Amino acid sequence: MLFAAIAMQKKVYFRGTWLPWLLVAPQLIITGVFFMWPAVQAVMQSTQLPDPFGLSSQYVGMENFQFLLNDSTYLESFATTALFSVSVTLMAMVPALFFAVLADSVIKGSGLYRTFLIWPYAVAPAIAGIVWLFMFNPSIGVASYYLKFLGVKWNHVLDGDQAMLLVVLAAAWKQVSYNFLFFLAGLQAIPKSLIEAATIDGASPWHRFRTITLPLLSPTTFFLLVVNIIYAFFDTFGVIHTITLGGPERDTSILVYKVFADGFVGQDLGSSAAQSVILMVLVGALTVVQFRYIEKKVHY
Amino acid sequence: MATIDLQNIRKSYGKNQVIHGVDASIADGELIVIVGPSGCGKSTLLRMVAGLEEVTEGELRIDGRRVNDEEPKDRDIAMVFQTYALYPHMSVFDNMAYGLKIMRLPKAEIRSRVEEAARMLSLSELLDRKPKALSGGQRQRVAMGRAIVRQPSVFLFDEPLSNLDALLRVQMRLEIKQLQRRLGVTSLYVTHDQVEAMTLADRLIVMNGGVADQVDEAMKVYERPATRFVASFIGSPGMNFLNKVPIASLPPNLDLPELAEQAQARQTIDLGIRPENLALCDPGEAQLTLRVLTVETLGADTLVHGHSELVQGHPEPMALRLVGTHRFEENSTLPLKADASHWHVFDCETGDRLN
Amino acid sequence: MAIVGRHPWRTATVHILLILGIVLLCFPLYLTFVGSTLTRQEVLQVPMSLMPGDQFLENYKRALFRGTNAPVLGMLWNSLVMAMGIAIGKIVISLLSAYAIVYFRFPFRMLCFWTIFMTLMLPVEVRILPTYEIAAKLGLLNSYTGLILPLIASATATFLFRQFFMTVPDELVEAARMDGAGPIRFFKDILLPLSRTNIAALFVILFIYGWNQFLWPLLITTDPSMNTIVMGIKQTVPQADDFADWPLTMATSVMAIIPPVLVVLLMQRLFIKGLVDSEK
Repeated sequence: MLFAAIAMQKKVYFRGTWLPWLLVAPQLIITGVFFMWPAVQAVMQSTQLPDPFGLSSQYVGMENFQFLLNDSTYLESFATTALFSVSVTLMAMVPALFFAVLADSVIKGSGLYRTFLIWPYAVAPAIAGIVWLFMFNPSIGVASYYLKFLGVKWNHVLDGDQAMLLVVLAAAWKQVSYNFLFFLAGLQAIPKSLIEAATIDGASPWHRFRTITLPLLSPTTFFLLVVNIIYAFFDTFGVIHTITLGGPERDTSILVYKVFADGFVGQDLGSSAAQSVILMVLVGALTVVQFRYIEKKVHY
Repeated sequence: MATIDLQNIRKSYGKNQVIHGVDASIADGELIVIVGPSGCGKSTLLRMVAGLEEVTEGELRIDGRRVNDEEPKDRDIAMVFQTYALYPHMSVFDNMAYGLKIMRLPKAEIRSRVEEAARMLSLSELLDRKPKALSGGQRQRVAMGRAIVRQPSVFLFDEPLSNLDALLRVQMRLEIKQLQRRLGVTSLYVTHDQVEAMTLADRLIVMNGGVADQVDEAMKVYERPATRFVASFIGSPGMNFLNKVPIASLPPNLDLPELAEQAQARQTIDLGIRPENLALCDPGEAQLTLRVLTVETLGADTLVHGHSELVQGHPEPMALRLVGTHRFEENSTLPLKADASHWHVFDCETGDRLN
Repeated sequence: MAIVGRHPWRTATVHILLILGIVLLCFPLYLTFVGSTLTRQEVLQVPMSLMPGDQFLENYKRALFRGTNAPVLGMLWNSLVMAMGIAIGKIVISLLSAYAIVYFRFPFRMLCFWTIFMTLMLPVEVRILPTYEIAAKLGLLNSYTGLILPLIASATATFLFRQFFMTVPDELVEAARMDGAGPIRFFKDILLPLSRTNIAALFVILFIYGWNQFLWPLLITTDPSMNTIVMGIKQTVPQADDFADWPLTMATSVMAIIPPVLVVLLMQRLFIKGLVDSEK
């Protein structure tokens, strides 16, 4: 089990009783105050229902959860999140793989291409949102203007599908860089001799790619799949908040955004807390999947 | 300068005992080599002396002082590691000076000590380099220098030459020996290489499975190995063994005086004879014969490998070493004998020496 | 991977496709820059010009010193403090705790380890409301401490250092012990210098992470003078097109993007190392 391997320590170690505690103290205190306490808080609030004035609250057990699971807007948010995450992952990974294969095949200038392709990673999701919003602004955006000539009437403020497409594009944009970098590293790690052997066997480039490169790249691909889904789930708040505020209606209100909207804007504390708890379980599951993957790689 | 006393030293990891009670007294200025195959506990023993492993049981004394519970730095020792363990980010000078800086010696003193050691080890030109920019032999010297500058009363060497190529190993072996003689510092030296052990040691500790089989001068160990294991481990090519020989079936001209008394207690013995102790003889006076398989001529001497039959129908592999160049036909049979004093007799069960 | 053969036209195609990709990827940023150099009217003109205008200095000066709610200069400073604080804070506390976990044996070591591990499962986004309440209770609203402290616990950085420490040969600790170095000296004189590259690589990643924070500053800074640039920019986005000051927003965007992008470009090698390491 990898968890055990991670907890492994040196054979050679220092003695000392107070020093190690002193060393872990800052991390533990911050974790305790800003991670554990809020998490416990969320769990507690999720079983309570505050009165309309927010003066007191009463214990309601699993009621908040029951309510959520019967709430069509929450279930819709699940579907929205699924659609959003899958789209972002695809939009971020497919072009990245394509460019990585191209960049890996050039002899001269691949370093230069890499430089130009990786920098969008540094752009904050919130800024990415603003930038894409500017491009696709229904009245003044350059993109929406030219789309008119293609017969597309662009107005993501009113059209839910267009809104989804826009947040997906903005969220995927910076992530292409990240995936590109990992795909390129993965490709460069494939021994050239394998490709050459296949070439001698008479395999066409496409055939070689499908039967050799792609399978050998599968650990990278799976890893990126998990990372991108986690990114789409949790790190894209800024994109949604700057472009659509979850709208129109609730068409782009992904789970993370809904926690925020219900808690801060809607002031529905019990429900927001219950949503937090559900999200924690989700992240937990994703983390375990991620570590399982690493475990596999370790035991190769 | 110091003496080292090991009294019934034991080491366990949990319930698993790996060192089963080692006794040895090391005199001031002596160079003791702990030798044995991998996993025999020789490094563990050394590391206990160093203070890097706790002593589970027994007394460890350096210069009469019990040091079981003392930190390495308080034991007045220095150690050379197998991997050299040089600090990669420090120059050669800083590597050697680090311990002295921690001791808070004055700067001038540190400089003079390091420069002195560097001169001794021909490292003077390399003091500003980082370990990465040194050859294997040079790194080895820096590791030695780091030990020397501290002017400890004990040197500990943990297989210091095993990462060098064969040629350099021989050269460094000589240098270590000369250096140890010159400085006169009591030294414990661990190696798995029996040639290194033989050439370096004032005395050997031969370890086998967590037990010190023999603690003695190199030539004594060679000539009178205390156990069958020691006999087989020391010497190259190794000792020939004739296993489970019935005492009754020994050839009449193989006269082992001690055996008379043993005859009542047991029926069989293991016999050992070193390849160079066998000599060609007339067929009439042969103690045993060797059927030739291959002949290796090395110039100075000749190695003959084959099978011998002391007991009928029970052939054993055997090697013979002859001075000068000899030629033998394959499958020819050589009559051989050895002086009675060269035969080693071991208990078949315990492996203990009987004669 | 030789997807292309020896044909020169194929090589050319690959280069053209790559350049096309780069243009596509960079276009949104170019447009942002163009937007930041035009007048308000020019931006509202449909279609907007695709060539930079002459208002560069004017717009940036306006953003830097006046801004919408607060001057961008102040927001840049806040962002810098926050990014540096988070990066340095995370590195320091992660180095220390990784050191304790790897090189010491002490009671509840595993419990400490799992506690740190748990933080992986609790991103801010998930526990927004209670974390905010606690920060408010502790009086951390509108303060640098509030911006930085809750974000500096880091399982990833701790694991990264742990990983690295595990590769440091045991003999180095032993040699240091023989040289008389205790745990603190060993950490300071040997482990820390050896971790230099890892620290630098991680710094690059964490700086970007800190700079790009959005949700947390959004919650914790209600006072415009404490806004960071990435979150403050949201306030400059025009709600209605008539009052739009797009050039100002775009200038602010460009200034928000430049620092982390510069870090990536200037420290590309470290950046890539950090990225790859921290995902292992």
